[in-house]
Amino acid sequence: MYRRLLLALQSATLRLDTWVNRVLPQDFNPLYYTGGLANLFLTILVVSGILIFLYYEPSLEGAYASVEFLTHHVPYGVVFRGIHRYAADAYLVAILLHLFRNWFTDRYREARDSQWLSGMFLLVVSGFAGFTGYLLVWDERSQLLTSLTTQALRSVPLIGGWLERVFLGGPGVSDTTLPRFLFLHIGPAMTLYVLLWWHYVRLRHPKIWPPAVWVLFSLGLLFILASALPAASGPPAQPGASPEGFQVDWFFLWPYVLARWTAPGWALALVVALVVYGMVIPYTLRETPEQRGLRALGQAVVVEENCTGCELCYYDCPYNAIYMVPSPYPGKSRAAANRKLLAVVVDSRCVECGICIGACPFEALELPRMLDKDVQQRIRRGAGAAAPVAS
Amino acid sequence: MAAAPERMETQPRVVGFLCDWAVRSEGLLNPDDTVVGMPHVTVIRVPCSGFVKPGWLELALRSGAAGAFVCGCPMGDCLNREGNWIMEDRIDQLRKRLSRQKVDPERIAFFAYGLHEREQFLQAVADFVDRLRGSGGKQ
Ligand code: HEM
Ligand code: SF4
Ligand code: SF4
Repeated sequence: MYRRLLLALQSATLRLDTWVNRVLPQDFNPLYYTGGLANLFLTILVVSGILIFLYYEPSLEGAYASVEFLTHHVPYGVVFRGIHRYAADAYLVAILLHLFRNWFTDRYREARDSQWLSGMFLLVVSGFAGFTGYLLVWDERSQLLTSLTTQALRSVPLIGGWLERVFLGGPGVSDTTLPRFLFLHIGPAMTLYVLLWWHYVRLRHPKIWPPAVWVLFSLGLLFILASALPAASGPPAQPGASPEGFQVDWFFLWPYVLARWTAPGWALALVVALVVYGMVIPYTLRETPEQRGLRALGQAVVVEENCTGCELCYYDCPYNAIYMVPSPYPGKSRAAANRKLLAVVVDSRCVECGICIGACPFEALELPRMLDKDVQQRIRRGAGAAAPVAS
Repeated sequence: MAAAPERMETQPRVVGFLCDWAVRSEGLLNPDDTVVGMPHVTVIRVPCSGFVKPGWLELALRSGAAGAFVCGCPMGDCLNREGNWIMEDRIDQLRKRLSRQKVDPERIAFFAYGLHEREQFLQAVADFVDRLRGSGGKQ
């Protein structure tokens, strides 16, 4: 059932691609660059964030006023604030497109699970940073979000009280709270770069930028949005007040809508459950490739006596699954006697694509269940040469 | 189908490689690798277009095929991220090598079609065969 659903989703995803490709040239299809788009928006966030940081004052009395000053008195301050806000939304949309695309096109399990897991961490940390950003303004919305979060954390068994203290930076909302929030916003943002290293470590040449046209288009769109719909604060937070409604940013604040309907603890539990489910997705379908209708051709194998150590396979493997190691012993073959390096396939990274086989000019790599000599025979048969020809 | 044997003599033979993830291939091929309805075209399915050795394309030409091609997924959508870009590069290099050896580089082709683009794929193959025949068919 689940499997068939996934197949249908895959088919639909690729159908969508076909439509987009009819309008745009293939190289510019943004759905092929969702990771790059996410990275682009993250970069815009960091740059605009630094500019805002220069004016921000993390204190209960000063925070609101400093954001207002930035918005109304600093030249283009309102534009930078708007860009920071809308880039965050665009960033989340890009990540989610990226997530669903990789999920539906079967790029998330087996050798690729490390990218998926690091991706889930990226998603969680990004979502958290997006939420703490709304606390920094310290308007009524920030106040309400703070109190809902505090309630949710308090309802966690055993460590609830401790979590609350960590979140608020003290036993209650105090002078140390906003510096803590500022850290909880910028700290996760920096953590993203550590996680991105993990995300990319098994990818050779990750496409971290979309085509230039899309960079310009996205920047332009953000400028227009930020100018046309200026980002604004709500009424300032009042000590002791308990505001009721708030303007929802559906991308980051949806758990809080839920928290308002039910108990905050339930919203927290739901978010945790979703994240945990996301992390086990790669391990939910325990099927062999044959059951999935794939031809499992086996991981690439190096034919030791033919390898000359030319490194071509190492440059082409998209998953960094090939390591060049010092040739361990004087081999018996000529190739082995003259080489300095030997190619080694790291099984846990190999996705069985065979790209390294196409790269190797010395017949030193094979997919175990689709051997070079069998392919050659089929080629000769197809080309009309009945008997094998000497090559 | 009865007329196939005679037709085959007039149609240039072509050997192609088709990525498992590209065009949907149920019912596309006969058990002997030939394309249903195109007995002169052999298509070998591969796990990724990047699996194809340029040497195999040369082998096809040397063994009597008029042309050889590789078909991968749309550019940007390679399941293995880079397979079709890498293959496109390799084919460019192979073409240059062939023209230095006075072999017509137009005998090698690269296509990129997705799961839902079988019609377009078959059309592209038919056009390729036509082009080969136009340029003198077999060698
Ligand atoms: C900060 C957010 C993220 C950024 C900037 C990002 C960026 C990227 C980039 C640039 C690639 C390489 C794409 C390529 O070259 O083909 C990639 C691959 C991948 N990403 Fe992300 N990503 C992010 C979040 C996520 C999330 C949330 C998930 C899913 C949980 C995810 C899952 C994956 C997977 C599975 C791959 C491997 C794709 C493959 O093997 O073909 N990423 N990511
Ligand atoms: S088959 Fe070769 S190119 Fe593909 S992942 Fe494995 S080692 Fe890398
Ligand atoms: S391409 Fe072939 S010969 Fe060169 S290092 Fe890799 S396995 Fe060895």
